[in-house]
Amino acid sequence: MTYEPPVTDYDYIVENCTCAFCGCNCDDLDFLVKNGHVVAVRHACRLGASKVMEDLDQRIMVPMVRNEEGVLTEVSWDEALDTAAKYIAESIRPVFYGWSETSTECMKEGLELGEYIGAVLDNQATICHGPSLQAMQNAGYPIQTLGEVKNRADVIVYSGSNAMNSHPRHLARWAAFPRGYFRQRGRFDRTVITMDPKFSDTAKCSDMWVGFEQNGDYGFYNAIRAVIKGKKLQSESVSGIPAEDIYEIVETMKNAEFGTLFFGLGLTHTLGKQRNIDIAIKMIQDLNAMSKWGLTPMRGHFNVNGFNIFMAFETGWAFGVDFCRGYGRYMLGETNTIDLLVREEPDCFLVIAADPGAHFPNGANQHLANIPVIQIDIHWGPSTELADVVLPGSFISVECGGTSYRMDGVPIWMKKAIDKPETCRDDEWIVREIKERVFKLREEPNVAPKYVPNPGLGLLEKGD
Amino acid sequence: MHYANSYLEKPVVGDPNVAPRAETIKVLKCMLNTGSDIYQGACKKRGSTLKEEYKNASGTAYMDPRDMAKLGVENWDHVLVKTDYGEVVVNAARSRDAPHEGTIFICKGPWANTVVSHETYCCSDPTYKGIHATVEKTDREVLLMADLMRWVYKKYVDEEDDDVVESMESFGERPFYNGRKWEELEDHDI
Ligand code: SF4
Repeated sequence: MTYEPPVTDYDYIVENCTCAFCGCNCDDLDFLVKNGHVVAVRHACRLGASKVMEDLDQRIMVPMVRNEEGVLTEVSWDEALDTAAKYIAESIRPVFYGWSETSTECMKEGLELGEYIGAVLDNQATICHGPSLQAMQNAGYPIQTLGEVKNRADVIVYSGSNAMNSHPRHLARWAAFPRGYFRQRGRFDRTVITMDPKFSDTAKCSDMWVGFEQNGDYGFYNAIRAVIKGKKLQSESVSGIPAEDIYEIVETMKNAEFGTLFFGLGLTHTLGKQRNIDIAIKMIQDLNAMSKWGLTPMRGHFNVNGFNIFMAFETGWAFGVDFCRGYGRYMLGETNTIDLLVREEPDCFLVIAADPGAHFPNGANQHLANIPVIQIDIHWGPSTELADVVLPGSFISVECGGTSYRMDGVPIWMKKAIDKPETCRDDEWIVREIKERVFKLREEPNVAPKYVPNPGLGLLEKGD
Repeated sequence: MHYANSYLEKPVVGDPNVAPRAETIKVLKCMLNTGSDIYQGACKKRGSTLKEEYKNASGTAYMDPRDMAKLGVENWDHVLVKTDYGEVVVNAARSRDAPHEGTIFICKGPWANTVVSHETYCCSDPTYKGIHATVEKTDREVLLMADLMRWVYKKYVDEEDDDVVESMESFGERPFYNGRKWEELEDHDI
């Protein structure tokens, strides 16, 4: 990179804005505004700054619908919303996917529509921390807030997470470097351990790197648990890690005053899936017998946790909630977007603030080529190439306020800093408009017929 | 053209620094990992996905220099990656996290999607990491995002032949649509 002089040419500064990129939700950013555009960002990392100072070449500015030749064509808001509503109202197995980069207020409208029409509501957790959410149901959720980590933690473990690349300020703001109430010397008072098959950028600035084999996570954590419980390892190495190193790691972990495990997609995307997380959570539980430990999943999008918290509060399930039978239902591997798409079930796909084109495997995306896709987003992305209706939303935390949940579950209000382009609308407004139009097109909500108990059951009770 | 000021055409990578071999192999068997890195993340969220920048950040296989020497490829040569789930042409470049002989890393994005496994094993999450792959040198071009999406999904083309679709006129690096452009809608003087 070349040196860039600081930006001095701006009209005013908006202080204490929130970054809408990763799950750290840094809420200390300053936006430098000139002529109604953010021209520079202070305090953000490279990722946050790049998102706020977006590439305006690819900003979606007008509502568009595909014409007969398959070319996106600008239409009026009314026409675009009507087309979208028609696709949804006529479908029998719609999927509403995304939500992680929009506000919790917008999700509320989406849930109302989904319940009414009998849709599946799912978010990016399905392709990132879905297994973590399931493991939490299996094994528990010993979490702490990031503020506790900053003030107390003396041992930090990153497992399967390259924070320096995907949450760049995580080490600087919360985990490794900051000086906290009980950690007055900052980095010097903390031990950072990175567990990753790759010698990642996070490993490079850690005190200890544990490079277990690919797909070796499950065996490795089991070995750690055995050693914590005072067992001796039978083999010389486990998952490529020598036994003496495992003893040393366990010693460090046991002697921690306050330890935290941050785990990422390295654990959820390998073959062990949620079993990896199960075992990591159990390891934390074991460690709590002799020290104080907690864990936090490194959530990727700024509000991916928000959707899970919101859905769990409203429906009882965190993600992949299926309303098609007229009541809520959740079954991992059945009502999740990837499985649905691979089985070619959906007949209408609404993408809001997400990019399946960029993040779903080919085998799942192929089905998007067969069905109508409605996209609500701010940028022209890979999904736009598959979309039949494109609705330009607005940029939460820059052009529009909203609530989001940080990776540790702390809600943060993200304020508005500048005005949105005149032709765009807020996500919340768009979803509400679609909802109202669908309500008109399909007058009856999708509710299950009244439950009639099996008459045979009554006989059984009487003992006849 | 307006770029956010951190535009970077290619990620910064080191020199392979391994003496080229007299004999190279044609096909390298390896393990494929995918995930995010900071260049890919920055381009994706800035929204410069149609551009060269995203193609180079996301459509690049990061390799161990010894593997590169075995295949006889230099930084930014093109390689064909094949798995049980598909194939795709990407750039080759020296990994910043080397050594990891026998493993290649492609950042997530439309290029990686073409070759990763959609198997969720009933856990909702596709298997994005740890997939057996082969890598070979190729003369074919790495496609820009819009062209790649057309080549893989063929949603709005009638043609089924991959080679014909691949050689169709490129969509280029700007959004392709009928209607008013950004310049007409907004004052464009920043
Ligand atoms: S660490 Fe995450 S939330 Fe903080 S500035 Fe960077 S991208 Fe934004």
